[in-house]
Amino acid sequence: MAASIDGVFEEILKSSILSARVLVVGAGGIGCELLKNLVLSGFEDVEIIDLDTIDVSNLNRQFLFHKQHVGKSKAAVARESALTFNPNASIKAYHDSITSSEYGVNFFKRFSLVMNALDNRAARNHVNRMCLAADVPLIESGTAGYDGQVELIKKGLTQCYECQPKAAQKTFPGCTIRNTPSEPIHCIVWAKHLFNQLFGEDDPDEDVSPDTADPEAAGDAGEDALKISTNENGNVQRVSTRNWAQSCKYDPQKLFHKLFHDDIKYLLSMDNLWKKRIPPTPLFWGNLPDAVAGSSRNEKESGLKDQKMWSIAECAQIFANSCRNLKNQFESLKEDDHLVWDKDDKNAMDFVASCANIRAHIFSIPQKTRFDIKSMAGNIIPAIATTNAIIAGIVVLHAFNVLKNNFESCQTAYLRPKPTHRNQLIVPEKFLNPPNPKCYVCSPKPEVTLCVDVNSMTVKDLEEQVLKKTLNMVAPDVILDGKGTVIISSEEGETSENNPKKLGELGIADGSILKVDDFLQNYELSVTIIQRLVPKDGPDFEVVADPSQLKPKDDDKVESSTANGEPDQDDDILQVVEEDDDSSQQFDSKKRKTDGETEGGISKKRRTEDVIVVI
Amino acid sequence: MVGIDGSSELTEDEAELYDRQIRLWGLESQKRLRKARILLIGLQGFGAEICKNIILAGVKAVTILDGGVVKDEDASSQFLAPRDQLGKNRAEASLSRAQQLNPMVKVTADPQDVADKPDTFFGEFDVICATECSVEQLIRINQICREKSIKFFCGDVFGMFGYTFADLQIHEYAEEVTVHKASRSQKSGEPAAKVAKLSPVKETRKQTATFVPLQDVLEFDWSSETYAKRVPKADPSYFLMRVLLRFRSKHGHDPIPKNREKDIEELCKIRDEVLTKLRVPVEKVPDNLFRNVFAEVSPVCAIVGGVMAQEIIKAVSQKESPHNNMFFFNPIKNVGFVDHIGN
Ligand SMILES: [Zn+2]
Repeated sequence: MAASIDGVFEEILKSSILSARVLVVGAGGIGCELLKNLVLSGFEDVEIIDLDTIDVSNLNRQFLFHKQHVGKSKAAVARESALTFNPNASIKAYHDSITSSEYGVNFFKRFSLVMNALDNRAARNHVNRMCLAADVPLIESGTAGYDGQVELIKKGLTQCYECQPKAAQKTFPGCTIRNTPSEPIHCIVWAKHLFNQLFGEDDPDEDVSPDTADPEAAGDAGEDALKISTNENGNVQRVSTRNWAQSCKYDPQKLFHKLFHDDIKYLLSMDNLWKKRIPPTPLFWGNLPDAVAGSSRNEKESGLKDQKMWSIAECAQIFANSCRNLKNQFESLKEDDHLVWDKDDKNAMDFVASCANIRAHIFSIPQKTRFDIKSMAGNIIPAIATTNAIIAGIVVLHAFNVLKNNFESCQTAYLRPKPTHRNQLIVPEKFLNPPNPKCYVCSPKPEVTLCVDVNSMTVKDLEEQVLKKTLNMVAPDVILDGKGTVIISSEEGETSENNPKKLGELGIADGSILKVDDFLQNYELSVTIIQRLVPKDGPDFEVVADPSQLKPKDDDKVESSTANGEPDQDDDILQVVEEDDDSSQQFDSKKRKTDGETEGGISKKRRTEDVIVVI
Repeated sequence: MVGIDGSSELTEDEAELYDRQIRLWGLESQKRLRKARILLIGLQGFGAEICKNIILAGVKAVTILDGGVVKDEDASSQFLAPRDQLGKNRAEASLSRAQQLNPMVKVTADPQDVADKPDTFFGEFDVICATECSVEQLIRINQICREKSIKFFCGDVFGMFGYTFADLQIHEYAEEVTVHKASRSQKSGEPAAKVAKLSPVKETRKQTATFVPLQDVLEFDWSSETYAKRVPKADPSYFLMRVLLRFRSKHGHDPIPKNREKDIEELCKIRDEVLTKLRVPVEKVPDNLFRNVFAEVSPVCAIVGGVMAQEIIKAVSQKESPHNNMFFFNPIKNVGFVDHIGN
């Protein structure tokens, strides 16, 4: 309530705080801290929105919540707690998604300032567009571990959230995952794929069997090595892994034998692979090592169950138990339904941890504890209280400057884990970053190029995969420029007969321009079509903001696998690798990761104290 | 009660609550944290932030010592004392909310004034963090900490400005460094006999840092040939801190918002005295800096309190290089920087 105590602030700041109406988007780690700072500083008209409810693992940093609040609305409890800090404040809480159509441009126009405290890129993109459309200053922030960042987004003055391409998700070549893993993460990715092959959504790109099309194995693999015919994709010809598993009733022993003996034997037959590598060792169910990998049990080892290093015999037991339980879970589902891998589901996590470790053992790769595998498989980027507190503090100082119209003092600021060479821990940039004139969101005439095969992509795919998932629109309308044909209408059902049609059938061809308009986001985009056949194993389409970025495709790349699926966006993760943390979408990420999306997390300039040692 | 069972192992409940931070700083650090007993002196806005952060981190025990009462200005940043506790002892008024932050930590309120505490009182803590103390008390407590090998921290927030200081004496810690190694050994799954190529490897190294006491920082000679040259380019924060600490010693309190104009005048006067004595040009601390030193402003308490708490966590867990020995937050430029002052 600093602003209502005479003499704390200068008059101009005091009056701007008292008259401001602000919106906080997100009541997680940064959101809790922000709300506290705002009401204590004297903001009296605050609105906060969050879709989430409170979980136990939030309590070590989201300090407005206590044990008794678990399961309740974050926004509502945050409001209650913050009101005790400043009973004069009026706080309006919404337990809702900010992307809902109720929060249109007019909703945003009511605020002097919007502060994001979000955990996913899709919502950030959306709020970015809403604030640009409403011409309301937005302060964007995020943290990851000891790192953090605060950035002002003001139309015409600074970059918007989507001005710069974001880092793409890390992927691994399919043959590394299927044939020649060399690191624990390769085994973990394989184990997650195996989970999907057996119980999850079937994705042909997540095959776990030996890949005979591995270019490195050329010459000795395939037909002459093993008299097994291969199909055109190079996969060993047989029934799908799931059908095979179902036919043997998910018998853990049989599954084990196939995955960790027969398939390994097959890999061994691909001699070329093992000329310069340690060859894998097939395992027998009846004869598994009891000893724990590495050495004797670490004396520092804790008693916590997730921190124990399992022997291979233990892994096999855990594999068998989780298999049986998952089979039961899977069979209790409806006909077409499937399980979704979730790091917090005991059996799903046990399954992946045990399979990854067994495979690691086979390939002489160090094993990991269940705890570590959970971090890697769940892509957990941990959030802590101190980083969130510091970042939320900087956000509110930026807010003071915005309210004073002192935008020149709102340079992007970074929090570093260690002081820089200039000894700075909190590091502001020297200048505001001006908007990217080619930005497909904030430039005066936004445009992108879509490379696609108009004879294979349907209108429905255009809407779902391109416009919604890649370009983050909510309810787009699409008109074919020049002809005026309505391709997609956001009015329910108006163009549903177009959905199954191919783009070409509606007259879309190379050089066509689509006028896309998202009414909610007040966002108009011009999409130029470039006709291109889908490369083998390549992405179905590619969206490019700057056509000069178009370059020849790398045809050698056979296949790639997502590293860890979706990151677990704990709080307010800075570097968002994938779009959202909605677990139901975890395993349809294949299409998106190859969609040529050029966005990624906020890039950071980092300095590490590297030492060169040559041995 | 869970967590205070004396064993050095974490319980499954603790592992669940602290899951995310364990993933960041490791199990060993968390075990060290759960053994740490911390004394926090001074519980205005800045103290409240430190208090919140270390209780959330899961230390063993926190004693909050504050002989003052809840004032009007506390409303600008002290969120632990309920507003209806105006005039009540600040430590006692804050106890209930502090404890609610984490039931696994033992939180105790002590309403006495730090000046009335005998030297023996401090011996039962592993870390002492002092805020809002006079320079005389800081030097005394720092001295006691040196005798008893207690990690000493202090700091303050004045309006939008803040600093921290640490005297960890001789501090041993493990640091992760990235080294580039040329590896010729065969790794499974990777073609061997490749030309030796440099690949980054993370290594943990044992390091030692040596600190100086606060007195050295305050007696530092800026007029010496080497440092006089540095002054014109130096950030004004250190000198601003000296002026504010002098104001506190002279008046027995910090600048008061309702006496704003009068106290700014007084600060200018003190600035002239202090900087002249240090043989530093008085322009080093321009008058306008004093417009932002009233009460403790919440976002700055969050920033400096976050940094201080993270330093306490680092010191206790003996992991990563500590700030040796000062951190300043300059709100004019939004810069937070570490500086080593004293020989
Ligand atoms: Zn932009």
